[in-house]
Amino acid sequence: MTLLKLLTWPYVRKHLLRTWLTVAGIALGVVVFAGMHTANDTVLYGFQKTVDRIAGKAQLEVSSGETGFPEEVLEKVQALAEVDVAVPVIEATVSAGRQGNLLLLAVDMTGDRSLREYDFEEGEEAVLEDPLVFLAQPDSLIVTRDFAARNNLAAGGKLALDTMEGRRHFTVRGIMKPGGLASAFGGSLAVMDIYAAQKVLGRGRRFDRIDLTVKPGVPVDQGRAAIQKALGSGYQVERPASRGKQFESIARIFAIGATLNGMFALLIGLFIIYNTFSVAVAQRRSEIGVLRALGATQGQIRRLFLLESAVLGLAGSGLGILLGLLMARAMAGYLSDYFGEVYGIAQRTEAVAADPALLAFSVLAGVLASMLAAWIPARQAAQVDPVRALHKSAHETFSSRESRMRLAWAAIFLAVALAMVAAGGHTGLRLYVGYLSVVIAAVLLTPAMVRALIRVLRSVLQAILPVEGALAADSLLQSPRRTSATVAAVMLSLSLVVGLGGISAASYDSIFEWMSNVLNPDLFVGTSEQIAERSYRFPPALGETIRQMDFVDQVQMVRTVRVLYRQTPVMLVATDLKSLSERVRPKVVAGDARTMFVEAAQGKGVVLADNLALMQRLKLGDVIEIPSPGGVLRLAVLGITIDYSDQAGAVLMDRSLFLRNWNDDSVNLFRVYLKRGVKPEEARQRILERLGPHSRLFVMTNQELRKYVMKVTDQWFGLTYLQIFVAVLIAILGIVNSLTVSITDRRRELGVLRAVGGLRRQVRQAVWMEAAGIGAVSIVLGLALGAVVLYYYLGVVGGDLVGIRLEYRYPAGMALLLVPTMLLVALIAALGPAEAAVRASLVEALEYE
Amino acid sequence: MNSLVLLLMVCGVRAEDGRQIMREVQNRTKANSQRYEGTLKVIDGKNRISEKRWTYERIGSAGDSKVVLRFLAPAEVKGVALLVVNHPDRASDQWMWTPALQRDRRIALQDRSTRFFGTDFSFEDLEERDADQFDYRVLAEENVNGAACWKIEGRPKKTRSSQYTHSYLWIEKERYAVIAIDAWHNERLVRRIHYGDYRRVSNIWTPLTLEVEDMGRKSKTVLKTEKLEYNVPVKEEAFTLQALRRES
Amino acid sequence: MEVEPLLSLAGVMIQLQQVSKVFDGKRQVTALDHVSLSVSKGEMVAITGPSGSGKSTLLNLIGGLDKPTSGEILLDGESLSQVSDDELTRVRRDKIGFIFQFFNLLPALTCLENVVLPLHLRGWPRKKIDERARELLELVELSHRLDHLPEELSGGERQRVAIARALSIYPPVLLADEPTGNLDSQTGAEILKLIQRLNERLNSTVLVVTHDMGVSGTCTRTIRLRDGRIVEDARR
Repeated sequence: MTLLKLLTWPYVRKHLLRTWLTVAGIALGVVVFAGMHTANDTVLYGFQKTVDRIAGKAQLEVSSGETGFPEEVLEKVQALAEVDVAVPVIEATVSAGRQGNLLLLAVDMTGDRSLREYDFEEGEEAVLEDPLVFLAQPDSLIVTRDFAARNNLAAGGKLALDTMEGRRHFTVRGIMKPGGLASAFGGSLAVMDIYAAQKVLGRGRRFDRIDLTVKPGVPVDQGRAAIQKALGSGYQVERPASRGKQFESIARIFAIGATLNGMFALLIGLFIIYNTFSVAVAQRRSEIGVLRALGATQGQIRRLFLLESAVLGLAGSGLGILLGLLMARAMAGYLSDYFGEVYGIAQRTEAVAADPALLAFSVLAGVLASMLAAWIPARQAAQVDPVRALHKSAHETFSSRESRMRLAWAAIFLAVALAMVAAGGHTGLRLYVGYLSVVIAAVLLTPAMVRALIRVLRSVLQAILPVEGALAADSLLQSPRRTSATVAAVMLSLSLVVGLGGISAASYDSIFEWMSNVLNPDLFVGTSEQIAERSYRFPPALGETIRQMDFVDQVQMVRTVRVLYRQTPVMLVATDLKSLSERVRPKVVAGDARTMFVEAAQGKGVVLADNLALMQRLKLGDVIEIPSPGGVLRLAVLGITIDYSDQAGAVLMDRSLFLRNWNDDSVNLFRVYLKRGVKPEEARQRILERLGPHSRLFVMTNQELRKYVMKVTDQWFGLTYLQIFVAVLIAILGIVNSLTVSITDRRRELGVLRAVGGLRRQVRQAVWMEAAGIGAVSIVLGLALGAVVLYYYLGVVGGDLVGIRLEYRYPAGMALLLVPTMLLVALIAALGPAEAAVRASLVEALEYE
Repeated sequence: MNSLVLLLMVCGVRAEDGRQIMREVQNRTKANSQRYEGTLKVIDGKNRISEKRWTYERIGSAGDSKVVLRFLAPAEVKGVALLVVNHPDRASDQWMWTPALQRDRRIALQDRSTRFFGTDFSFEDLEERDADQFDYRVLAEENVNGAACWKIEGRPKKTRSSQYTHSYLWIEKERYAVIAIDAWHNERLVRRIHYGDYRRVSNIWTPLTLEVEDMGRKSKTVLKTEKLEYNVPVKEEAFTLQALRRES
Repeated sequence: MEVEPLLSLAGVMIQLQQVSKVFDGKRQVTALDHVSLSVSKGEMVAITGPSGSGKSTLLNLIGGLDKPTSGEILLDGESLSQVSDDELTRVRRDKIGFIFQFFNLLPALTCLENVVLPLHLRGWPRKKIDERARELLELVELSHRLDHLPEELSGGERQRVAIARALSIYPPVLLADEPTGNLDSQTGAEILKLIQRLNERLNSTVLVVTHDMGVSGTCTRTIRLRDGRIVEDARR
């Protein structure tokens, strides 16, 4: 430790910038890993907290997917001997206009207070003392103090909410004190009478859920079993906490992405560290020589460098965690909105929820990555020959034996990768092993390819500026380790960019195709501007009303509902399949396009979205089990089509089958086809004039819906772009690091250059060209590796994450864009080092050793 | 006392026969129907007073009666109604009707111990049960406000059906009138009820004032009855959910 | 001061007037203390003195690698004191050739490339560069080593390459900082002979910093420094 302080600290102080760059290399990896995971945890925690707070004392919850169930079920549950108190609940996110979204908790106030604490501060007389007024007036609402304060509401105040009858004003009849229930959903919570809510949300005589406690002395699991037995398998009876599990399965995609990208970022950081340490060892050779001459053992030298790397890793991880938490904060809000919009999940993020284990792991990963990267340089340092230490030796070059070993290993890894492909490694372990092998092989091959490419590049650079070009190229050739490490870091970053870009480009293509095949009605009539919002529902009669309008050709009623399939919430889409099959031409993956819809329309089975089939490994002819209030339905898979209705996968079923088994005729969405020649805008106007005043409805034209789908897609890829941004940032860091190192390393050479007559401009240009050289070589290798990486990413996305089968298409546009971007980035990265080079004192530079 | 709100039943004769005393109380208040207008004053622990008015109609007699309560005031709750269908052998069924929503809701058994809309009564207290649903025994003879009374203990035969484990009733010997009831849950006195202002209406001694005290909350509800009549012409059909829906 | 043009006409190549160099650090170090000196065209001067006496500083100032704290330096009549870095570089590239103790060859370049580097920096046409390169390597007797990398050469050979590089433009002034310091005595003597021959042949003004007494023996004039001052200036 003393040695560290004695020897390392002065060095760190002298090369402050480089130290920072090194720390930043580790920090970025940790930021991505810790930040993304923490954002995910935060959203999950926010959701769980909302669930907990709303659950109150409830020990069990009874539900039937998202469909809810008839009121009678409540009496059945209440009649069970094991049940103490059972109360009905409807939970929905409603729009309060400018006030934003409110989580509406609709309960029966009469009994609910034995499960949930309502701690009132105002309007006591009206609500606490006299629920009669609350119940008698269906416009009654209880809000939290937070929400009231934010919106200047007092007891008796009015608040506008969207209802099935359009926008209505509600009266605040009670204000809850903060804490407990009132802090659920970040305080944006309103309590309403459940029967009023049925009307407001168009739910008919149904409840979403029953919250209950079991009789004192009855074990919860026994109560659960009794209820399950009484209600049958169409119902889920679970502890409130288990709702978090469903959410986790949705957030899994994101969590895996976070891990992959965090690890990748760390891997790139590893090269930056390796680079810095290699150069540090080279620069401190004489110092090491002196130490060895004074009696330091090889072990001591190695430990010195490893300890140094550990300290840097620790600093980087600490910084990374700090920044990661900041990033998590920003990202959690974004994610939260996304989950809310796409999954209709009621949750509001509050404080960032940092998992100590995760943070500890991040620090550990950062420190280990740093030490791993310093391993080879540390070993080299230990092997410094004290006698020859003062001579510049061949340490910077690779011995031919080393090069041969590299090539041999690269060949082995390539062979492994090929074997995985040959073994059908499109999914699972084989895919990941293959991916890893390819990346390792690419890294191993980097030195050889760098040398070849720079030789080619030398003549190009020389053609541009003969002296500077040659100098730049030679400088790169002269330090193969440094150049290769930098190129490897930048290459990996770029391959990540290409891979992610390819995924995003292919996804957009695929989604476009799906939209034009399937989303072809002229108008969509929904209950909300968000298609995924399922809190409000239409009565089917409204469909009839629309159908009878003289400009309407056809109306298809769509009911979407999330159900649990193998513990994963998937989307059930119930609609008139016969009519649908006449209008849409989905891309069929399996099954007979002509017969699958006909048979499904007869209730003989269902048609699956390809992503569901891929993720759940389902084939044509398989039987899937879907819970319904009437019991578990066993349905044959009649066909598989490309369908992006839902990220977790969609099951397409005929409406008649749904009506029979769910006994629920409400509708989420009408697909409206207009008669020839009718302008969608006009038709929309007329529908709104006719129905708008009496009911809450949103009419979207085909174009608007597509725009909406694109918006949601953009939101999803927004996260990807963030990752691309980080990857580019790491690339910049790598180049800056390498150049800074290179400039210090070559101070004397640059001094000689100037001493023998090189102008500042010429020195500057030589450094710039060196940067451009690194940039160019990295681009070539990165874009090439990206093409391979993309293949694996498609496999990960297709088989493992979202089951979206994407076609391989190299993101050429993005690649083309990357060329000038990275060259520019390289030049910008070179600005600082180049100035440092020309401003350095000539005398010192020439004496430099 | 027949009707009104309340707890438990009634009556008896000798120390060894609490049940007979309570049957006698029930018999003396027997009528085919009843109607009155009530004013409820709720005085909470902080001395704040709120007031409600309702009309009360009953058909049938103890243990086999039906009751409809309709709120008249305050304005926000006007038209809200409660239908209680009592059964001789078990807890009653209760429904509430809210006119603004145009729908009824069941008051679940589990909720009967909760307060009846901001008063100091619970929903259970609105039931009327036959004396046979309880075991009675005379504990003592005591003087209450100068009147000789029996102190009788009543315990529900089916413990599951009531929030109270037991109650003490004070019955005035001369008129077989209930003077007071203390309702207990194990060691805790839950509610204390006083009947007063006894008048003879249609030959039935009827208390015109009733005071319920919620011992936990330290608040008090006073019910005063007006326009009280017995054996008025009421129709069986008026005591159904359909009628509630129709009439609002 | 009036004598200045006179001196110039009289063939003075290097002229220092009251030149001081102070290095700022935790402790101020006066490397040169009001040194005045003039060297005529074609002179071969040895600058000697103990370590830290200011020899190298003097050479660096004359070579335009550094600027004086005060005083005036004239090189072939041009002032080096008040000019920009790029102007200084231009003076360097047109009038001065450097020979370093550690050779300072660029390791990635071949001998030939190292030698012609200054010509490239001046943007000479390739043909002219090729001619000059051959000429130079012949001059230093290294024609057979054209395509070798510096690391493949012996110390003496490397110094010859460095000398060829310094001579590439036939500069009027040749500055050598301990040119033999890194060589064995026999090689050192050969190198010295080479420098002397070039001095005669090209009529360059040569300044050699050394503490090798043999070197000063070869020179026409010896200047001895101590503590930043000239303590002896002897012509032979």
